[in-house]
Amino acid sequence: MPSNRLHRALIVSHRPIGRGYYRLVLKAPAAATAALPGQFVMLRVSDNLDPLLARPFGVSSVPSKTSIEIVYRVAGRGTTLLTSVEAGNTLTLLGPLGTGFPLPDKGVTPVFVAGGSGFPPLHFLAQRAGSRAHLFLGARNKECLPPASIIKHFKETVSRVHIATDDGTAGVRGMSTDILNTFLSGMEKKTHLVLYACGPHAMLAAVHRIAVEHSITCYVSMEERMACGLGACMGCSIPMKANGYKRACKEGPVFDSRDIEWGEQVLLKFKR
Amino acid sequence: MSKTQNKESAMVSPDLSIDFAGIKLKNPVLTASGTFGYGEEFAEFVDLNKLGGVIVKGISLKPIKGNPPPRIWETPSGMLNAIGLENPGVEVFLRDKLPYLRKFDTAVIVNMFGYSLEDYVSVAERLDGVTGISGIEVNISCPNVKAGGIVFGTNLTSAFELLSAVRKATKLPIIAKLSPNVTDITAFARAAQDAGCDGLSLINTLLGMAIDVRCRRPRLANITGGLSGPAIKPVAIRMVWQAARAVSLPIIGMGGIMTGEDAVEFMLAGASAVAVGTANFIDPRATIGVLSGIEDFLREQRIPAVRELIGKVDAG
Repeated sequence: MPSNRLHRALIVSHRPIGRGYYRLVLKAPAAATAALPGQFVMLRVSDNLDPLLARPFGVSSVPSKTSIEIVYRVAGRGTTLLTSVEAGNTLTLLGPLGTGFPLPDKGVTPVFVAGGSGFPPLHFLAQRAGSRAHLFLGARNKECLPPASIIKHFKETVSRVHIATDDGTAGVRGMSTDILNTFLSGMEKKTHLVLYACGPHAMLAAVHRIAVEHSITCYVSMEERMACGLGACMGCSIPMKANGYKRACKEGPVFDSRDIEWGEQVLLKFKR
Repeated sequence: MSKTQNKESAMVSPDLSIDFAGIKLKNPVLTASGTFGYGEEFAEFVDLNKLGGVIVKGISLKPIKGNPPPRIWETPSGMLNAIGLENPGVEVFLRDKLPYLRKFDTAVIVNMFGYSLEDYVSVAERLDGVTGISGIEVNISCPNVKAGGIVFGTNLTSAFELLSAVRKATKLPIIAKLSPNVTDITAFARAAQDAGCDGLSLINTLLGMAIDVRCRRPRLANITGGLSGPAIKPVAIRMVWQAARAVSLPIIGMGGIMTGEDAVEFMLAGASAVAVGTANFIDPRATIGVLSGIEDFLREQRIPAVRELIGKVDAG
């Protein structure tokens, strides 16, 4: 019965890559073969009882047939602890999990929108289906953008990278959704476009509104706190327009943006 | 191989079976309701045939949507949850979930609850006589819904009336899942016994709360939630011990079990079986780990049958 989704994975490499991010490469052949863009893995950052729960991380790349890459920002106690686990050690890895992005059909131009630390799943998607894609990156300032090496990768894989920062220290001054809207408004024909977005929920809600205005299909990757990653704990619920909630870990994390009840979702996030 | 090793291997298979209120368990390891879905979610990781039983996620008369997110928050060696008993309702359970579980050689115990006494009775009646159900666990202790659940579990008269009504509604063994959010657990254990219950499950989660100090907002949309995980184990052990001395009903002990030795601790306190809960979230194979840990312990201690552990703490 040993499942091919539960591993003790060797850390091949693990190092800081700038702007508060780390790149972690794990040897996990079965996960490397199976992983699809938008899927995630659960990692336990230690074998102790505290912190207790595993953390979800979007797969950012499959650098070889036997390894997967995670790029994460140090954001709390779990990720801080994770930074201290050196190459040569092993971590418990569960995955790949969840439902990823539907891959764009032939003739489709994917439009990626990444905010905050939400770029890793799009990084993986760009590698699989990004050659014609446009990427929109937004952050408060230059230092809050993805690491320079990641932006460089994106520039090598996608057709064009559009950057906006609130203070104008990189790219255009403004929000990624502003330059996205301008970009879309300048296009006469939009039927060949599909939006793929990952980032803070407020940004995803804004991208969804833009998608509706321009009648473009939009897939969003939703983040929510998770305990199991397997659909059992019911902790990672996302409010849907119909039929209550869906689980970010099972039916998601990627959803068609039209299915999500954005009012409730964004309201809840702002209330926190 | 030496003679001693031969002797050891002659008793390598301790008797793990337990008769729990007439329910035949091949071993004392069950899954705690709400942490193992309806079994299928974990079948990729665990051979369900190996488990003593599966206690499924709580079922109500009608489907329940559950609470808004955020629903969970991690705490030191534990977690708070306020799921709100989200479930597809008894009819969908019987149609879509139970047939899968029936394929396995393991006891299926259905956790159920309602918002009113009539709801509880209706679900119990609906489950009565259904093939493939070994028993009913009556949840009178969910801390996360306004009506029902804990309202019954923290008032002695309501608990007695409710459990008596459920008793009349079914011939299946009924196990009352008690709330730890009471001053005297023994009073509720006695009420369950007097109402005609066949067993007890304890403990459910402890009511808790966490606050984001920067936003000055509760971490959970529901404000309060149920605390589970290793953090609550000492409370659970104490309550199992107290209840076991107060009543003659067999007890399913639960609350923070991560290892075989944790399970043994519950059995020494007086539990006849154990349920693995939050550990399933951290390691989907946790139940199997607990089971083999119990076996290792019995071998190491040269105890031929697991039932010999029940209530054998020497508390002077």
